[in-house]
Amino acid sequence: MQVSAELPLRANLSVLENIALVPQYRDNRPTRQAEQQAWQLLERLNRTACAGLRDPDLDSEQRFVAKLLRVVIGRPPIIVIERPGLLLPDSHYPSRLADCLAKLEDEINTLWIVDYRWNAPLYPPI
Amino acid sequence: MHYDRAMRWLIELLTRSGDALIAHLLPTGRVLRFGAIALAGIFSPGLYNSATRTVVQKQIYFTAWQIIGSFSLFAALLSLLLIQITITATRNYGLGDYALEVVLRVLVIELLPLITALFVALRSGAAINAEVALMKITNEIEALAEVGVDAMRLEFLPRVIGGVISVLALTATVSLTALVLAYLSLYGLQIHGLAAFSQVLGQVFSPGQVFGLWLKCLLFGLAVTVIPIAAGLDAPHKLFFAPIAVLAGMVRLFFALMLIEVGSLAITYL
Repeated sequence: MQVSAELPLRANLSVLENIALVPQYRDNRPTRQAEQQAWQLLERLNRTACAGLRDPDLDSEQRFVAKLLRVVIGRPPIIVIERPGLLLPDSHYPSRLADCLAKLEDEINTLWIVDYRWNAPLYPPI
Repeated sequence: MHYDRAMRWLIELLTRSGDALIAHLLPTGRVLRFGAIALAGIFSPGLYNSATRTVVQKQIYFTAWQIIGSFSLFAALLSLLLIQITITATRNYGLGDYALEVVLRVLVIELLPLITALFVALRSGAAINAEVALMKITNEIEALAEVGVDAMRLEFLPRVIGGVISVLALTATVSLTALVLAYLSLYGLQIHGLAAFSQVLGQVFSPGQVFGLWLKCLLFGLAVTVIPIAAGLDAPHKLFFAPIAVLAGMVRLFFALMLIEVGSLAITYL
């Protein structure tokens, strides 16, 4: 599953609803239970303040977190973050990304980051 | 030489006309296809989960519940006016005994369901059309599919269900209000007219007529949601096509509602 600038959040739903939608729809979880699960993920990233906001009211970091958690909550075998520079403009995104991913380490199976070759020096060597 | 030129002109004319006809018929075909998928999907038990139920509830809230007071008041005033005009006109021609039957046939069976469908089309149909077009244009449908959520099941079918329930509920509410107003206009606050009133009701609302009325309202409900959704899905991935998609959807919806009404009149009275 991809996290991409070209795959937006559902505009008429809040961040919490966007994330909770996946377990609600795919696993038929009751709304309250799915929202609790989404809330816990937001808490891990210290982003509960944006839980009630909709896409147009989010800054780029909040939007990225919402998109990432919407994918993470589904526990897919592989998560692809496509061009993080587009998702997190105006910031030193590799460190922000590393911070987020470290907090979600046990929720992610395999993660690929797809970025331009010329941005390779931004990432720590593996 | 002249023959060749004439043939070329004829072939060109036929090709152009054929292309125009196909371009005209394709959206109608897509509407019918979406309508068939929607009808099949509505009866699928797999459709219903907590997410889709929320969309149905929201659709009913925004389409029916939010406007039920103001729309009922408007319909009541219109009904009262038309009932008074009918009663006065029929009495002037010495046909006062037929006033109630005329009111029931014209107002309750024909006008109120059509006005309700037009109102819902203007208010919710246009909004649904714009929202679906924007979802298509901004890639929201693909984004939902990426996380394993089918937009058809989550967003479109629940809107059809909510729209149909809303049209049926609003029509039932305004029709019942009109029946009460018709009784009060003819007999006032007396109960002695109840027997005659019930007799005329029974004559007008035969089982066939009731079935036809519900079928018409059901088709109105389907039209006000299926046509805007199909028109929204027709929009290409370019933002400036959003108003064009809404315009095309609303025009198609108007003609579809009129076609249902004319068809219903033709079946009843011809």
